[in-house]
Amino acid sequence: MSAIDWIVLGATLAAIVLYGLWKGRRQQRLEQYLLADRQLQWYTIALSVMATQASAITFLSTPGQAYTDGMRFVQFYLGLPIAMVILSITAVPIFHNLRVFTAYEYLETRFGVGTRTLTAMLFLIQRGLGTAMTLYAPALIVSLVLGWNIQLTTLAIGVLVILYTATGGTKAVSWTQMHQLFISLAGMAIALFVAMKSLPNGVGFTDAVRVAGRMGRINVIDFSFDLSTPYNFWSGLFGGLMVALAYFGTDQSQVQRYLTGETIAQSRLGLLFNGLVKVPMQFFILFVGAMVFVFYQFVAPPLSFNPVQSEKVRNSRYAAEYQSLEETHAKTFTQKRAAATELVAAMNAKDANTVERKTTELRRLQTRDEETRQAASALIRKNDARADAADTDYIFLTFVINNLPKGLVGVLLAAIFCAAMSATASGLNSLASTTVVDIWKRHLNPHLSDHEYVVLSKWMTVGWGALCIAFGLYANQLGSLIVAVNKVGSFVYGTMLAIFLIAFYVKRVGGTATVIGAIVSEIAVILCAIFTDMAWLWWNVVGCVVGVAAAMVVQATLQPAERRRETPALR
Amino acid sequence: MTTETPPPVGGSWRNLYTAVLLALAAEVALFYWFVRAFR
Repeated sequence: MSAIDWIVLGATLAAIVLYGLWKGRRQQRLEQYLLADRQLQWYTIALSVMATQASAITFLSTPGQAYTDGMRFVQFYLGLPIAMVILSITAVPIFHNLRVFTAYEYLETRFGVGTRTLTAMLFLIQRGLGTAMTLYAPALIVSLVLGWNIQLTTLAIGVLVILYTATGGTKAVSWTQMHQLFISLAGMAIALFVAMKSLPNGVGFTDAVRVAGRMGRINVIDFSFDLSTPYNFWSGLFGGLMVALAYFGTDQSQVQRYLTGETIAQSRLGLLFNGLVKVPMQFFILFVGAMVFVFYQFVAPPLSFNPVQSEKVRNSRYAAEYQSLEETHAKTFTQKRAAATELVAAMNAKDANTVERKTTELRRLQTRDEETRQAASALIRKNDARADAADTDYIFLTFVINNLPKGLVGVLLAAIFCAAMSATASGLNSLASTTVVDIWKRHLNPHLSDHEYVVLSKWMTVGWGALCIAFGLYANQLGSLIVAVNKVGSFVYGTMLAIFLIAFYVKRVGGTATVIGAIVSEIAVILCAIFTDMAWLWWNVVGCVVGVAAAMVVQATLQPAERRRETPALR
Repeated sequence: MTTETPPPVGGSWRNLYTAVLLALAAEVALFYWFVRAFR
């Protein structure tokens, strides 16, 4: 990395941290610290909600997914706009009118303290793991590709986030997220521009999209119904809806963003804007990945995008085998480039027969190349059983480092760091608020002064930050990182959503039945994960449906007296 | 329970919700066209 890249990266991060510290100064009251005094406008809420979800993994791993698997991942977000409408109608007015600090606080008014504490604990476990991954994943990828020390990188990102999140609370988090999201998206736009500018003469933007389409990378919609396929229209619509309802309606890291709205209208507008913009934004990020794929049809890619594992196997007893695979890969690339060039020429000449012939040839060569890459992955794993042989997460950063001019590499790294910091900040902020409001204030010490709770919240932010850094330092490889993070959530999101849906809509079900329903739901999700090949998005649907149904059945079997005793306080 | 203040744009909340859902439908239609046009 050049000096100018370091300057750009350092200056951007310093500006963000200083801005966060300045924006979040003078936080004296708990409502001020945890909810920005409920004074934020819709645009801050919208961008904060989007930045919370768009972690560095989104910007690093998603283009890699488009490279290897096409753009079908965009379907995961199809349920999100519907969820934004549902939550705007239901959750937003309820949370606002009760003036709660956390989503789980509401559950006490509905079911009692047991359900509140259970969901708060589920959230702390799941979000604690998620935030650690949010911190660790980009640090791992960046440090491997750039040869940095992973521990120091994790520590640096973590400390910077803790600094302004602990000092400035939610106000600092929300305001910095606005700028961080703009920087991250600008970085992706720069990457797309460079990929397009670097294509050979005679290959334009439309040609690139056509090549991507011919090679199966523009598979943005698939209407076939298949439970074992992770991303199609139906899993995106139903599974994605459940994930989005659970994530935005029950996960404090998101609920806290729109609880900061000055009015119900501001919070609603924030969520609806997210519903409008999220799908196009994910489309754009995946499109960058598809274009990077096209770029590598004309410029030789490495056999494996994981530089550390490649180097290791080159210096092992499998070196000769790996070299042979590299030679096959190079030979296939030469043929692929020729076929791709001829395909573009045929498309421009509107020669349908040649287009079909060259498409078949290019697909055949691509399959051969993928087989070579799989053989290389197998060799990497044979050499080191603990190695992360999947290189999807390294594709985009490798493209950035090897192809962007000096200065712009720094911008892209700043974009990735900004995304890592914004998602981590929301995570820490929500972990601290839940710990203080739902656990400490409710169970341990309800008699502290408002200022003492602010101080406690600051220490909780530091504590959770330290825990996430420690966990991040010891995290193992988990395959494709974005899927891993979403999978962690999918283990509990269905259950959490079931609890909240019962709270909102099934008024006759009480606390005991809800807790039993939640336990049954969680068992169902675990059984699905272990014993079926059901795609993980569907776990959310199973968890939610089983949870609601089980709670209703249990409630129906309860004695009438118990039902009366559990009559909800809030109607 | 809630005081329904109208949104600053769109006339009513119902209109805004419809706009978000129509935008989603348009995106799906656009995606379908995109797949067919470039496959």
